[in-house]
Amino acid sequence: MAKVAYYPGCALKERSSHLDRSARDAALGLGFELDELETWTCCGAVPPVSSERVMNLIAPSRILKDVRDSGRKELITICDFCYNTLKRANYSIRSDEVIRKRVNAFLADDDPERTYLESDDAPWVDYDGEVKVLHLLEYLRDIIGFENLPAGLKNPLKGINIAPYYGCVMLRPEKEIKLDNPENPTIIDEFTRALGAGVVSFPYRTECCGSYLSVSSPDASTRLCYRILSSARANGADALVVSCPLCFYNLDSRQEAIAEAYPDFRPMPIFYFTQLLSLALGNGPEKQGFDMHCVDVSPILEKLDTPEAAEVGE
Amino acid sequence: MSQSKGVSPPKNPPLELNREMVRGEFGLRVDELSGQKLYDCYQCGNCSSGCPLAQEMDILPSAMIRFAQLGQKDILLNSGTIWICASCFQCTVRCPKGIDIEAVMDTLRQLALEAGVDHFGPDEISPELAAEVPQPGLVGVYRKLST
Repeated sequence: MAKVAYYPGCALKERSSHLDRSARDAALGLGFELDELETWTCCGAVPPVSSERVMNLIAPSRILKDVRDSGRKELITICDFCYNTLKRANYSIRSDEVIRKRVNAFLADDDPERTYLESDDAPWVDYDGEVKVLHLLEYLRDIIGFENLPAGLKNPLKGINIAPYYGCVMLRPEKEIKLDNPENPTIIDEFTRALGAGVVSFPYRTECCGSYLSVSSPDASTRLCYRILSSARANGADALVVSCPLCFYNLDSRQEAIAEAYPDFRPMPIFYFTQLLSLALGNGPEKQGFDMHCVDVSPILEKLDTPEAAEVGE
Repeated sequence: MSQSKGVSPPKNPPLELNREMVRGEFGLRVDELSGQKLYDCYQCGNCSSGCPLAQEMDILPSAMIRFAQLGQKDILLNSGTIWICASCFQCTVRCPKGIDIEAVMDTLRQLALEAGVDHFGPDEISPELAAEVPQPGLVGVYRKLST
C-alpha cells in the first residue's frame, strides 16, 4: 500500500482526533496510508506576516526539511492552519533569498556536521523549499481524482444536502496557497458531489468564522457563525462540511450561544470532510467520533439510512 | 415639508498634521516591517466592504491605511481594530492595488505589543475554554495578541 508522509499537527492528535481518525480510515479505504512523521513539532499555527519575524518560520521549515531528509517529496496535512503555515514557509524560502539564508542558518544549528557550511564559498542553503505540501483534499483531487471516488463508495451519501464551508486560511492568501480560487472555490463542492450528496452553495462560504477570536472576543465569533450557519440554512443545507479544526470548533460549539442570542436559529450539524468520506466508504458512524460533536448529527444519519430519502435526493 | 437637520459635528476632532507625520518615520517603519507600500492605497474601500469584522471595528481597514499614510501612530496603536481583526486575509486578496493589508495589521499589532503589554494575556482565558479550544486557536490568539 502506498504510504504518504503525513503531518497531523497538534489539534488532530488531541482535540480534533476524530478528524485524524476518519482521515486515516478513509485513506486506507482508498488504498493509501497516511504515514505520520516520526518526529514533529507544532508548526506555529499562524504564519508570520511581517517580514521581521523569520523566527516563526523555523519550526515549519524544520518539519519540511525532516521530510526531505527522510527521502520523501510530498507531505499531506489536513488542518487548514498547518497547511497555510507550512505552505507559506515554503513560499517564503523559495521566493526570498534573504529569508532562505537566514532560515537555513538557524536550521544549521540542528546539524552537528554542518557539511554545507564548511568552505567559504558554501552555498549556505540546505533546504530550499523543495517538499510539496498537499492538503488532503488536494491529494484527493489531484492524485486520486474526485472522478474516481464514486466507484469505490459503499454508501453514497444520497438524500442529504451539504453546504461546503471553506473559511479563510485554506484559500488565502491566494498568491502563496494556490489551492483554489479564493472568491469562488469549488474543491469541497466537487468533493461533496463525488460522494453523492446534494451540494448547497451559499454566500458566506468563504467568510471567516472568527478564527482565534473565539478565545479573545467570543461574541464577535458568535455573530459571524450565526451569519454563516443561517445563510447555509436559508439556502437549503441540512449540514455543513468543513476541513479546519478551528472552523469546526467555532461553528459547532458556538451554536449554543447563537441559539441564546438569536431565537430564530435552528441547530445545524457540522461534519469534517473526512467523516463524510469515511462514512461513504463504508465505515460505520461509531468510527467517526460523533460523540465529540456538540450538535447532534443523528438527524442526518437517519436521512441517509432511509431508502425513500435516497430517491428524493436523486 | 422637510426640515433641515443641519450638519452634525464631526465625530473625531480634526487631525493636526505636520510634515514630520506625513511620509514620516512611523509610516516608513510600517512600510519596512510589512513589506508594503502604504502610499499605493487610493482609498477605494474594498478592504472595508469585504471585511467580515468591519461591524466590530472602531476604525475601518481602509481608514487604518489612511491614518498610517498620515503617520497617526497613536490613533492606530490605540485602535480596537488591530485586536478584532481575525487575520482572515479577505482584505489582502481583494485589494486592487495588491497591498497585503493583513501584513499591515500584523505590523501594527507588533508595534503596539512593543510596549510590552499583552492585549490578551495567558491569565485571561477561562480554564474551561483553555481545555476545549483546538490548539491553532490558542497558539494563534497568543501569537497575535500577546507579547
